[in-house]
Amino acid sequence: MSGARVRWRKAGGLHGARFYGYTLVLPAIALLIFFFFIPSFYNVELSFHKISLFETVRGRGKFVGLENFAKLIRDPEFYNALKNTTFWLTGATVGLRLLLGFVLALLLNSTALKRWRLADVGRILVFIPWGVPPVVAVTIWKWMLHSRYGVVNLIFQRLGLIQQPIFFLTDTSVVWISIILVIVWRELPFAVVTFLAGLQSIPQELYEVARIDGAGWFHELRYITIPLLKPVITIVAFMITIWTFNNFVYVWLFTRGGPGNFTHVLGTKVYFESFVNYKIGYGATFGVIMTVIMMVFALVYFSTLFKRSVNV
Amino acid sequence: MLQKIRDLFIVIVTFIIIGLILFPFFWMIVSSLKPSTQLLTRELQFIGTQLTLKNYHGIIEVGFFHFILNSILVCTTATIICVGFIASPAAYAISRYRFSGRSSILAMVGFTQMFPWVILVTPVFMIFWALHLVNSYVGLIVVYIAITAPFSIYMLVGYFETIPKALDEAAVVDGCSPLGTIFRVILPISLPGLVATSAYTFAITWNEFIFALTLMTQTEKKTVPVGLANFLGQYTTDWGIVMAASVVATIPTAIFFLLLQRHLVAGLAVGAVKQ
Repeated sequence: MSGARVRWRKAGGLHGARFYGYTLVLPAIALLIFFFFIPSFYNVELSFHKISLFETVRGRGKFVGLENFAKLIRDPEFYNALKNTTFWLTGATVGLRLLLGFVLALLLNSTALKRWRLADVGRILVFIPWGVPPVVAVTIWKWMLHSRYGVVNLIFQRLGLIQQPIFFLTDTSVVWISIILVIVWRELPFAVVTFLAGLQSIPQELYEVARIDGAGWFHELRYITIPLLKPVITIVAFMITIWTFNNFVYVWLFTRGGPGNFTHVLGTKVYFESFVNYKIGYGATFGVIMTVIMMVFALVYFSTLFKRSVNV
Repeated sequence: MLQKIRDLFIVIVTFIIIGLILFPFFWMIVSSLKPSTQLLTRELQFIGTQLTLKNYHGIIEVGFFHFILNSILVCTTATIICVGFIASPAAYAISRYRFSGRSSILAMVGFTQMFPWVILVTPVFMIFWALHLVNSYVGLIVVYIAITAPFSIYMLVGYFETIPKALDEAAVVDGCSPLGTIFRVILPISLPGLVATSAYTFAITWNEFIFALTLMTQTEKKTVPVGLANFLGQYTTDWGIVMAASVVATIPTAIFFLLLQRHLVAGLAVGAVKQ
């Protein structure tokens, strides 16, 4: 024991920082390499093969070169999934979350709520959907949007807004609205809470000075709040865009990509091709395309952050 | 006077929005307490007249508690190993030691934190199949340690940075080895940060769906989210039981998020500013 101690100390002498730094980081790095980097490269290899899920026991399947990619660019389903992922799954929900999140954060940060001592209660209540597992969120909304017994249809009919029940999950004209509703409901708190933290870090004196200068509510928003909140808004926008673009669970559990293939997104396609159609190679091809899109996006993200930290 | 009316208006608008946000949560709880005769009705009843706990008995009968036990086993083990043995040593090293490659390691952690899990599903399944880790608790635990490690490291680096370095130096002067410094000095006073990180890690693993879906194909090995999703897929869905199961599935994460929301916000805000 004491011998070991002496050796520890000795190692801690000259090259200590380096030695201990690497030793302590090593398990984490090994895990990340094993779990994130090796599978990413293996995914590329799989995409060059034609391999069925049933063949996994016997070997690696047949090497087909770029055949899977050639098939993919001719596959109308790919373009449908890409369009759905970009506009509906990501574009619509991120836009709505940023807008609603900003409005709610402003309301929760308003002096009115503080004077009534309701700011804390409001913040905690808004936070609740984030404590609901995504699977449960989908379950609740599937029940609420049930065509026959769902509370939304019952309320709409009671109010006389509709005569016939709406088939929220199978009618192609409303199914995306239903999916967007679930995602925005469950994921909105993240935007609200980070925006709120950003608003609270804006010095109050700025508003006081502005008020002395006779600035109105709109001018304060336009010239103080929005510019100072912009860094937080940018980061939140990037983060939720990445998380949502690759999301699988909402669309899969809500519609399984249906009706037909109407609501398939890239995330559900990866799973669908690999584990429902048993075409592992083709599923991996979708994964490779998503990886490329994500890498481009990550590069833009990091270079934006870098540029800002240089400027400031 | 004018200001009072304005205040009242803002308060009312805010709480109408909050009411709309909370309604689904309320509806889940109410539906879980209604007998099926009151669920499958075209009449609009907000509370219902005969509330019952029958559905909660029902989820015991359909074996939902087996999924809960699986989830508790996998998520607790993964959280303890991830935070205790992978993330805190790494975060400590990143926070305290200046070694070459440190910033690229931080970048790598940041990159993996954004890494979309769905892309990994196919290759991880193939690798795990070859290693006989499909339908194995060990396999899923390894996955959960890996996917939560990046975020845990980030959160803990943020926390360790708030602890003065003089403390480490004092420990070293008193003859503590580096590991002793971590386990006997730093970790004990970092307890609030460790608890927050663990709770967040647990919540992520508790909610995780796609790896649990692909790696656990035997019914008796399934976790709560997959077990719950299976109820949904059945042709005649018993909504009362599904809602009761949903309430039970929500309890752990809801408690964690409510208790820790202040801390999480601080952590997220620090992360956002730091980056």
